[in-house]
Amino acid sequence: MLLTELTVPAVDFEAATGWSARPEGMCKGEVCVPAPGAVIDGAIDVEAVSARLGMALVHDADRGVWALGPESGGRALTTAVAPELVLPDADGNPFKLSAMHGRKVLLVAWASW
Amino acid sequence: MWQALHEELEPLGLSVVTVALDFDPAKARPWISAAGATHPSLIDADHHVDELFGISNVPMAVWIDETGTLVRPAEGASIQASPLRSMEISDDLPERLRLVLSEFKNMPDTAEAYRAAIVDWAHRGADSPYALTPDEVVARSQPRSADHSRAAACFELGHHLHVQGDHAAAIAWWKQAHALFPENWTYKRQAWTLESTPDGEDSDKAQEVQDVYGTSWSDEFLRMGGGAAYVIAPRL
Repeated sequence: MLLTELTVPAVDFEAATGWSARPEGMCKGEVCVPAPGAVIDGAIDVEAVSARLGMALVHDADRGVWALGPESGGRALTTAVAPELVLPDADGNPFKLSAMHGRKVLLVAWASW
Repeated sequence: MWQALHEELEPLGLSVVTVALDFDPAKARPWISAAGATHPSLIDADHHVDELFGISNVPMAVWIDETGTLVRPAEGASIQASPLRSMEISDDLPERLRLVLSEFKNMPDTAEAYRAAIVDWAHRGADSPYALTPDEVVARSQPRSADHSRAAACFELGHHLHVQGDHAAAIAWWKQAHALFPENWTYKRQAWTLESTPDGEDSDKAQEVQDVYGTSWSDEFLRMGGGAAYVIAPRL
């Protein structure tokens, strides 16, 4: 997740990382991690959450931009609940992965390179 | 190839969704048109699926059931045996090329079994032995260390700076990503495509990026363990 400041609205944080702020802590799927002090008035303290979830925070000081990596210290998947994913199709129309509910999906990553 | 599988399995309630990991969507579109794809063909210029699912090379796939639950984690997803595996290697070829070609033969040969597993799942759903429980899916996904997280952040920061027009700064961040997570081929191969060569950036030699990255696809392929390490073989 790209950041220009280290406090972001919880709704934006969830859209980018899949982690939502709930009373029991930061949650993704069925997994919740207590994170006291991580949420203040609906905004995420990125440094606090970064430390709690092992999300690397790197800073390009010259350009005033940070990037936050995914949670770490375990496996690539924290939960088997598929995250929401919205991507454009070849014509540029947005497609939501959740629109496939009720069908099986084989999601294949490929590239032109 | 994926289109044919989609057509075969769509009546059983399975859809193929392809995701192109290309900074430049214009590079992916001709392939999508040529495939005559009727399944969702998405373009992920920001590489969201890399960290969302743990995609680290292509082709890789995940399986998602009707309830939106992953039933297999990211793994190598070939459904057609590569002709490179059965290629004869002439003694006349330069030694380095022979080494690379012989390593192709060490790539896991799971294409047929993997395709059959997908078909079995399409027919039998949760009763298929290839559909894993949520705990198995998480446990069988790849490890993610603090360095892997940092690599993802460096890769994303590099892409942002590249889009902003600061390509030199991007390269510095991408080099860090490559060093922190050398098993991730997506970070390397995607970054390398941006370096033009005397033959033009669309040439195969765009994978030979000695001047910028001090390495090449074949250097990395051999250094990282050759064919056996290049693919995360599905455990079927």
